[in-house]
Amino acid sequence: MNTHDTSNSTEPRKESLFKRYENLTVLSIFVSFVVIVVALQLITTGGSRFPTFISPVNIFNILQQVAVPGIIAVSMTMVMISGGIDLSVGMLASLVSIVVALGISEWGLGVGPAILVGVVSAIILETMMGFIISRTRIEPFIITLGGMISFQGIALLLCNSREVVMKGELSFLTANLIGGAKDPVTGLDLRMPPYVLLFFAIALIGGLTLKFTKFGRRIYAVGTNQRAAFLSGIDVKNMRLAVYVIQGLLVGIGATLLLARINTGIITLGQNLEIDTIAMVVIGGTALSGGRGNIVGTLIGVLFLGSIANAMNMLRLPSEVQFLAKGLVVVIAVSAGDISSRISEFRALKRDQADAQAAAAERMKGGSAQGGAQSDMQKSSA
Amino acid sequence: MDEILRLSQISKTFPGVRALEDISFDLRRGEVHCLCGENGAGKSTLIKILSGAYQPDEGGRIFFNGAEVSLTPRTALEMGIHTIYQEHIVFDALDITENIFVGAEIARWGIPQRKEMREQTERVLHYLKSDLSPDMRMSDLTSGQQKIVEIAKALVFRSNVIILDEPTASFSSQEIETVLDIVKTLKEDGIGIIYISHHLDEVFEVGDRATVIRDGRKVSTYPIAGLTKSTLIKDMVGRDPSTFYKRERTPRGEVALEVRNVTGNGVRDISFKLHRGEVLGIAGMVGSGRSELMELLFGAAPLVYGDILIDGQPVRHKSPKDAIRNKMCFITEDRQNTGLFLTKTIAENVAVANMVNTREFVVRPADEFAVGEKYRQLLAIKAPDARTRAVNLSGGNQQKVVLGKWFNTGGEIFIFDEPSHGVDVGSKQEIYKVMVDLLKEDKAILMVSSDMPEVISMSDRVLVFRRGEVAGELIGEKITEENILTLSIGGTIE
Repeated sequence: MNTHDTSNSTEPRKESLFKRYENLTVLSIFVSFVVIVVALQLITTGGSRFPTFISPVNIFNILQQVAVPGIIAVSMTMVMISGGIDLSVGMLASLVSIVVALGISEWGLGVGPAILVGVVSAIILETMMGFIISRTRIEPFIITLGGMISFQGIALLLCNSREVVMKGELSFLTANLIGGAKDPVTGLDLRMPPYVLLFFAIALIGGLTLKFTKFGRRIYAVGTNQRAAFLSGIDVKNMRLAVYVIQGLLVGIGATLLLARINTGIITLGQNLEIDTIAMVVIGGTALSGGRGNIVGTLIGVLFLGSIANAMNMLRLPSEVQFLAKGLVVVIAVSAGDISSRISEFRALKRDQADAQAAAAERMKGGSAQGGAQSDMQKSSA
Repeated sequence: MDEILRLSQISKTFPGVRALEDISFDLRRGEVHCLCGENGAGKSTLIKILSGAYQPDEGGRIFFNGAEVSLTPRTALEMGIHTIYQEHIVFDALDITENIFVGAEIARWGIPQRKEMREQTERVLHYLKSDLSPDMRMSDLTSGQQKIVEIAKALVFRSNVIILDEPTASFSSQEIETVLDIVKTLKEDGIGIIYISHHLDEVFEVGDRATVIRDGRKVSTYPIAGLTKSTLIKDMVGRDPSTFYKRERTPRGEVALEVRNVTGNGVRDISFKLHRGEVLGIAGMVGSGRSELMELLFGAAPLVYGDILIDGQPVRHKSPKDAIRNKMCFITEDRQNTGLFLTKTIAENVAVANMVNTREFVVRPADEFAVGEKYRQLLAIKAPDARTRAVNLSGGNQQKVVLGKWFNTGGEIFIFDEPSHGVDVGSKQEIYKVMVDLLKEDKAILMVSSDMPEVISMSDRVLVFRRGEVAGELIGEKITEENILTLSIGGTIE
């Protein structure tokens, strides 16, 4: 007498194309966005010039801008798939940049050791948060919010609320790997620093880990259903801890790269980084509730969010509009997935209703004839 | 004869299931009318009709104070019919007064009149001879005290009928006394009470009449005076055993699992031996500690005292990981919440538990898919391929996915907690067949079940649980509905 199984039939339900291929929705929005921007550029120039938005030099530009948030978005994806969240990444990045800058220019540690100290401290701090999150029932939101505030405090204490200027010791990280290469369209110099390649490498490793390792599979299992994961022999606590350790590593790396680009350790360096990375991950289809998402989706989210600011500049829209546009994109991209699944649910409901009506009409016919019930039974046994 | 409520020829059909058939029932003022029946007899459905949550099928009629009415949750409350469900519906963060008046605040000009509400609450609590203060926070109360607050809520808003569904489940004996005293007070004030309980002692202590329901049909109604427990039990059971599933018998082998004086997680001093090739049924009322014992054995709850031996070797299961490594499998009762990863595919679900047994770090989706396909075909899971998500399968097929997950670990000792819960009849038979196949492969099965025909037809031996302890063991001919029920409600058999 169990009634919570809504479907009475034993046949599996069909799924829409968009639900089956999770990244399709956002990808199609992203592609339409690119098409719109390109079209606008063509219209404004009357089609006389190549749309600069898709010129190689601009694409390389976008890649340089998104590489650091992109690296952090990879580990943020893992954290969110496991059912967690991390609000502290921005302030942690600021803290690490100050530690590394101080290490190089004031403590005399040398470049390598300074970077190591910065990355290790990021790992330690994230591990502490992960430990609390995985061993208690306190919401990750609260713990990492507390982390964000305290990291800001530590960072300000370390640098006495001042900026730490360096002499370009980290410039090897921003060197141009393809010096002399020209954009065939605009004739401008192309730039490809090593950290862009690092971003792709990390995204690749992250994606492979999630998809092709036991560790990755278990992250999904924990995020989908913690209790079932526990009863299936998964060490839920340590899985939830591990994703924060990885987050620490990648925030450490990301912060060092930011520092290399700006050449100054400063508290505003990681500002809004948590908002940008979470937005990228969410646009990429990772569910806040955990269990769902992947790195390909996150990559689309990273490029999408990165190209918005860029496109606004191209179209000569005021920079203030960017925030509004970013916000809208997050809402639209996330609700699009929901809307498409609602549409398919609605269609399924209509179909079921039609089936039920047909069945009812059939029964009415059978009931009026003699022995209708019996013939029904014969039909179903045949 | 002051009749307040009468149900006439009530039936209720769900898709594929006739939950109630032609039930007639009446309740008088100042009477405690007990509803008795096994798990799943239809008591809950009947209550939901009375509270207006379900509408009866056409032809059923309900009379309130002699006038025919149709019940919706709203009209039921307007008539003063209050249902107090087994599960507490409380707002933990609010205090007693706020809980009682939530959604029905006394307000003037939109401003809640806290003082007035508090006074009314205090008056009712006093009337119930309770020493609770209206300002106490719900989360600070025991479940017995929360039950009193729910009864108080029914009284603050004029009540004619109060329906109590298992009001004393999991209560201490002192709390049970308090609740029974309250029932007696209410009865003296002319309120009609419908009382549902698995505990026949309570039925005999407070009841005036008892109605027995079995398989959705009314069997009998008796005055309690002069009634014996055995009459009641005979009416509650009485299915024809020849209609039960015929299980193939398998030879009994070595002892696979031995449990000695296991204590913890709400169970005390449990000892038994489980042999290979046999099904040991674990029967008892819901809440008697059966699933809790399974959690202990599987390492999902800490063992306070006692020993577990697998194939003669003592083991310690600190977590399910250890239990799986020791060849145990746990098919949980609530497959959607504790067994399956609903949004994941069949292949992913099947692969997950065996990960503790494999050394490789890398997972090949192609291999995983192949294993998923193997079990999809072996267990005849109705899905186009192993890439189908579990959420899109029916209950019976979902259960088969859970089975596939455990078969894939190569386990030998299977715990089935309600193996056919929420599964259609066809899948039920298939699951039973799979269980027998396991026995033929010399595996051992521990089966918790509230489904009497299932317990009787599948078990070689049955342990009956009552309040966290083993009330008795039944073997062979002794495994009858009557004996199981008698043991589980605290009776003795000769």
